[in-house]
Amino acid sequence: MIGQILIHVLFGLAVGSAVSYVWSWLRSDPRLATIGRTLFTALSIGLITASAMLIIDVVQHRFEYTYVWNYSSTELPLHLLIASFYSGQEGSILLWTLLVSLIGVMLTPYARRHQYETAAMSIYGLIMVFLTLLLVAKNPFSYYWETFAASGMTPADVPANGKGLNPLLHNAWITIHPPILFTGFASMSVPFVFAMAGLLKRDYHRWITVAMPWALLSTAVLGFGIMLGGFWAYETLGWGGFWGWDPVENSSLIPWLVSVALVHTMLVQRRTRGLVKTNMSLAVVAFVMVLYSTFLTRSGILGDTSVHSFVDPGKFAFWILLAFMVVFSVLGLWLVLARREDMNIRREDFAPTTREFMVSIGAAIVMASAIFVTVGTSWPVIMEIIGQPKVAVAIAFYNDVHLILMPLVFVVNGLSLLVQWRSTSKGQFRRNMLVAAGLTMLLTIATVMTGLSALEHIFLASTAWFSLVVNVQTGWMIARKSIAVAGAYVSHLGIALLIFGVIATSQYEERYHAVLVQGVPTMVGDYTLTYVGKEQIEREFLDREKLRYDVSIEGNGESRTVSAILYWSDFNQRQSAFLEPGIRWGLTNDLYISPKATEWENVWNATTVMRGGTIANPLDSTQSITLQRFTMPMEEGQSEDGRMQMSAVLQIADGDGSPRELRARTRISTGDGGPAFDPEWTPISGTDIAVGLTNITRNNADPSQSTGELSFKRVGQEMPAPREVFTVEFSVKPLMSLVWIGVITMVLGFAVSIVRYLRASATPSALSSAPEAL
Amino acid sequence: MKPRYLIGGIVAIVLAVAAWFSLDSSSIEYANLERAEQLGSTVQVVGTWVKDQGQSYDAQADVFRFTMADEEGRQIPVVLHGAKPNNFEIAVSLVVKGRVENGTLHASNVLTKCPSKYEGQPQGV
Repeated sequence: MIGQILIHVLFGLAVGSAVSYVWSWLRSDPRLATIGRTLFTALSIGLITASAMLIIDVVQHRFEYTYVWNYSSTELPLHLLIASFYSGQEGSILLWTLLVSLIGVMLTPYARRHQYETAAMSIYGLIMVFLTLLLVAKNPFSYYWETFAASGMTPADVPANGKGLNPLLHNAWITIHPPILFTGFASMSVPFVFAMAGLLKRDYHRWITVAMPWALLSTAVLGFGIMLGGFWAYETLGWGGFWGWDPVENSSLIPWLVSVALVHTMLVQRRTRGLVKTNMSLAVVAFVMVLYSTFLTRSGILGDTSVHSFVDPGKFAFWILLAFMVVFSVLGLWLVLARREDMNIRREDFAPTTREFMVSIGAAIVMASAIFVTVGTSWPVIMEIIGQPKVAVAIAFYNDVHLILMPLVFVVNGLSLLVQWRSTSKGQFRRNMLVAAGLTMLLTIATVMTGLSALEHIFLASTAWFSLVVNVQTGWMIARKSIAVAGAYVSHLGIALLIFGVIATSQYEERYHAVLVQGVPTMVGDYTLTYVGKEQIEREFLDREKLRYDVSIEGNGESRTVSAILYWSDFNQRQSAFLEPGIRWGLTNDLYISPKATEWENVWNATTVMRGGTIANPLDSTQSITLQRFTMPMEEGQSEDGRMQMSAVLQIADGDGSPRELRARTRISTGDGGPAFDPEWTPISGTDIAVGLTNITRNNADPSQSTGELSFKRVGQEMPAPREVFTVEFSVKPLMSLVWIGVITMVLGFAVSIVRYLRASATPSALSSAPEAL
Repeated sequence: MKPRYLIGGIVAIVLAVAAWFSLDSSSIEYANLERAEQLGSTVQVVGTWVKDQGQSYDAQADVFRFTMADEEGRQIPVVLHGAKPNNFEIAVSLVVKGRVENGTLHASNVLTKCPSKYEGQPQGV
């Protein structure tokens, strides 16, 4: 009850804080801002309390709460219980709101130092109003009996255990990836509120300096969060790749792309005081795309097109999400339009031979990518709205588009660094260009010699080399003077490395389907794989049987054992195993074993036959065998060692002789793993073949539908015990490491730049340029 | 009109036209089985696994077989080139991408949709 009341109080606090700040802004009254600040602090404390309460409810297994029941269970270890906090929609909205408020707490003194508090926090408060309203709609503290009141549940009905978490999600990544991604999303609000505050204050330039570190931070964090998602998919979920252009992936990529464009155009404005309206508009678009992405992935409208589970949030939450998006789009665009005459300060065009021109073109190409991904992701919805048959967009669309856009990005990026701000000296440009072009040529030829043959990929690789060469060339000279300003070059280098990783894995990957019999070395590509054996892990848990399948890999001068995981869980009543790949990580290539299935070798030529059915003898196809009926245990009596006995009454028919009857008897013992069958091998007269009854599956509803399993061998032949067969997909993924190294390099570059622009924003010149109108 | 707007406009139109054609050629229609049979081209079919028809994976051929029913209840055998997808048994619905040939749906991909928790009914207490 306290939880539900708290959520409503939080909404009240958000409204109170926003109203106080707006009022303070309108009346230029700093006392009202103090009230707004206090209410905002109270709101943050309230959100921390609500989150702590939810975590405590989960950890204490309070299944009277619908949310706790839905996403956790008593079997989960602590880190997964904590992850349950944001596994569902209600909790993830709470996490998002909490993060936005915590960033707000850090933002308030920063904004105040820059005389931006009232204007910025007015808008920020409005964002909090919508987020807390969403929480009211999707209250994580709903009771089980409330949710299922229609099914006649009463407060006395408390489930004994929760539904738990899908075993696919049982690993450390779920505790890392979503919070970082959400931090990225949450921090995207900051550049937006500074842009809006700049418009309100008619301060069209200084907001850039103030917002720059935050724009860089949100881009870096979101980019890192996206990469962790890819890493998770690759390392644990066994999707084989790290990126599939899935709507959920796209929906975090789109705001990131807009944000990347934004930091570049902000840089141009810092240097030239141009692109004022562009920056205002992009700041609006970046934030609105966060909301649009949230809407796409949380409204359930893309349900059939994604590997991720989408959930229909209900009408109320749907309309709040839609209103959230519409309100901030309209507010932002209206403010930009209302101030457009005012912002027409600088009218001259950039000369094409300047860095500002090239960086603007680069930002435009990145925006084109954002637009294409948005249109592709929204295509099913667009087609439905215009009354066309529902469609989905194939991955090829995104790949094709980026095979055109990525080379453009690299070329423009390289050129932008070869030219200078304002004006470029022709001699220096020519000299640097010549060196860069020459090196690019050599490196491209070297790349082609490694076997890259597809023309579009050679082109992409050569442009990536160009960008890499120029960034190293220019970045090195800059870094020698001061490492603090080399961030951008490091980030660009990271992108080039990432693309090399993408080209290598997509073009040179080798995939093999391999059927591995236990203990038998099998040649697969250049490697010899042997399924060594399995071992049960995590035995302390009774709700699962988790097996480690060890495969030894030999070849190319190395010998390694990797382990794939098959996870039989009560979550799906152990109907099939959840599969995790085994990976041998390496700088030059990854060896990736993706499990597909396991079965036992059929050494006995076992064949299942229904009562009344006829099969051919697998060792002598001229002979047919009919399973007439089973004898009852009473008819057979017990075996000498006291086991139950049953027989299959068989009719044997050869091509020539008349059919003859044969009884194949089996001894049955019962144990934990179900009945075990020990056949008496019965020779079939006139042949050297013996038949054994190795299994009986009784159909209780209709005994005539019962089946028996007949096995065959030569008389006197000793068969080896059946071995386990492990079927896998084995792939060699060259330079996969570059994908991760590239993204991490990019994020590190951002980190360097954040420090640089944080210092720049604190310099007195930035502070004194325009006093606040308060 | 300034030349930069003209150039920008032309580039935008070219990109838009290219995107339209690319989208048109790479979009895959959602169809029921009746339409999928008529078309014979690659479509996506939403439906469910017909449990009592079973399922099997042939490791040698790397083929997973099952029977699906579309939303109208029409059934068809499905041959997926690959292993059984994760969450197959507990999926409340399947999205099968493939084409119908000789009365069999040859699938290249099967998406399994996990139970939507908000529509779930309470379990026995």
